[in-house]
Amino acid sequence: MFETYLPVFLMLGVATLVATLMFTLTSLLGPKKPTPEKMIPYEAGSNTTGARHLRLSVKFYLTAILFVVFDIEAVFLYPWASLFRELGWFGFLEMLLFLTILGVTLVYAWKKGALEWEK
Amino acid sequence: MILGLGEYLSLATILFGIGAIGFLVRRNVLIQLMSIELMLNAVNVVLVAVNRFHPDNHAGQLFAFFVIAVAAAEVATGLAIVIALFRLKKSVDTDQAASLKH
Amino acid sequence: MSWWIGVAPLLLLLGGGLLIMLADAFAKERAELATTTTVTLALSGAISFYVLLVDPVLAPAPELVTRYLATDKLGAFFDVVICLGAALSTLLAGGYLREHGLERGEFYVLALFSAFGAMVLARAADMATLFIGLETMSLGVYAMIAFRRRSARAAEGAIKYFLLGSFAAAILLFGSALVYAGTGATSFVGIAAAMAGGEASTKLVLLGLLLVVVGLAFKVSAVPFHMWTPDAYEGAPTPATTFMSVAVKSAAFAVFVRLLMTSFGDPLSTSAAAGWPPVLAGLAAVTMVFGNLAALGQSSVKRMLAYSSIAHAGYVLVGLGAAARVPELGVSSVLFYLAAYTVSNALAFGALVYAGSKGKEAVSYADLAGLGRRHPGVGLAMAVGVLSLMGFPPTAGFFGKYYVFNAAVQAGGGWVWLAVLGVLSSAVGAYYYLRVVVLMFMREPAQGAPIAVPMKSGYVLVALVASAVFVMNLGLLPSTVLEMAVAAAQELVGA
Repeated sequence: MFETYLPVFLMLGVATLVATLMFTLTSLLGPKKPTPEKMIPYEAGSNTTGARHLRLSVKFYLTAILFVVFDIEAVFLYPWASLFRELGWFGFLEMLLFLTILGVTLVYAWKKGALEWEK
Repeated sequence: MILGLGEYLSLATILFGIGAIGFLVRRNVLIQLMSIELMLNAVNVVLVAVNRFHPDNHAGQLFAFFVIAVAAAEVATGLAIVIALFRLKKSVDTDQAASLKH
Repeated sequence: MSWWIGVAPLLLLLGGGLLIMLADAFAKERAELATTTTVTLALSGAISFYVLLVDPVLAPAPELVTRYLATDKLGAFFDVVICLGAALSTLLAGGYLREHGLERGEFYVLALFSAFGAMVLARAADMATLFIGLETMSLGVYAMIAFRRRSARAAEGAIKYFLLGSFAAAILLFGSALVYAGTGATSFVGIAAAMAGGEASTKLVLLGLLLVVVGLAFKVSAVPFHMWTPDAYEGAPTPATTFMSVAVKSAAFAVFVRLLMTSFGDPLSTSAAAGWPPVLAGLAAVTMVFGNLAALGQSSVKRMLAYSSIAHAGYVLVGLGAAARVPELGVSSVLFYLAAYTVSNALAFGALVYAGSKGKEAVSYADLAGLGRRHPGVGLAMAVGVLSLMGFPPTAGFFGKYYVFNAAVQAGGGWVWLAVLGVLSSAVGAYYYLRVVVLMFMREPAQGAPIAVPMKSGYVLVALVASAVFVMNLGLLPSTVLEMAVAAAQELVGA
């Protein structure tokens, strides 16, 4: 087992070594002149505003859930697509049924107002 | 050296154990949901690993796909209930959900 | 008959469910969703009943189907039981939701898809279908429990059941993955073949089997995996409680029977030292005793019925465990018991739905005091329901208990003692069941207590009459259903 993964361990060791070396050297050798301006958190050069924890609107939740549910269905589309020719008409009809169910669900969610942002 | 089934099973058991302990110890619903996800993913490790040793009909790979899809649906339902509970209780702590005790 | 008749009930529910979803979203005026849903469920059950009654031998289905979904008599039997339970629940919902200001179409869609999941679960022939059916069924139920969005109790009951249910499902899944690791098969038949061929790793399989049993014991609310039951039953709107107590329990027992009989009927799995019979016997004993004792101390009839449903899971477990020794007798007794329990429990919960009105449920013993005298219809329905649950002849429940305990006695050995324990604990049960009847007919409400007014609803009335007819029919003429149960059991165990 060790022989197989030796290059990985070597790579890990070298990376750790280089990173440690660079951080140690800069903190030892680099000049340090702290001013209040330099100590504030860096946020793309502009002044920071607001608290660290933003409260997000619950509206995002609905969108996120719809995304997760519909997104995961792609799990079944990929294997189907890669075996499209072998599966033939049976596979095609089955996927059509699956997508019909999904489509009805989407229409339902749409009609019920789950996709409206302003309510 | 190639990893055997035993190593995969040990890894999965450890993952499943971490998930189970997390579920039982933590009282934040969101963390408990994450623990359940970890348990389901431990199962996926077993399914995919066993599939490698019994590749005749790819039952394990197929099963794992369904576990992933069902887990997503489960989380969607669970979060909806959590939101309903949060609106009423202003908390996602399961110890707060105690008014049904006598 | 052609094989696809076997899966036609499933397709009907799926198509009907999608159409009802669209109707709910697009219909301008109030659509009669309760009627449509009930008719869809009734039709679906009727197809399977017709198949069982007229020509139970279907042409063999293609391997692509049978690998995942069984098209046998056991599946058809549970189609009937699940559809009947679900149809009675949606009828109750038709009255209940309107009366309590909850009239939203989602309930019917959830009930329909949940029943679909339950039927897939009952027909599962592969660990993957088992899991998908279980989750389809459960996700609908979680949402139905949380249906009263203003109620903190509903949300609490739902979150408890959801968290513990998902935890149990994960355990079941890990168990089935271990069985897969041990045998290299996920289909029930494949597992059996690997066990018989001796190529299975016994340690992995037995550990996996134990975890699967734990997961299923949770779903049928066997002690010590019952903690969620009273809370979820109480928090849910009563029609949803009815659905959970009949359809979910029946489906979970269906897959329990099928899995144990198909995959784990070999000498090792059924041995008294390492197999599942001793585990089931222990679960059954604890469940019967605890369920009945805990039901004694309840002040809410809804909670009492929750504990009573735990106790009933114990009786069914006795029959299921006995099936290790006397397969045909044990399995058929379990099937008959579940049919009898479904109609009796639907009747008792239906009476509870009927007793409340205008946003006020009547669920405590105090609420029901004297109700039988003021409104004999409610009193009669409740009385027949609880007498059948108690096992009083000549109701459905009596024959259910008789067949289960008979199977245990025929199995001999320790099972006889389990049957004795079952009879003793159901004697305890008589106290809390009769207490309801006594309160309804022989007591007056306390001074100043709110007086329950029954609702007026054609839906609930139809549900009550239908379930009462079934209860008496199964009690007086049990032979038709019993023959179907025996035929299904014979086909399953290959006798």
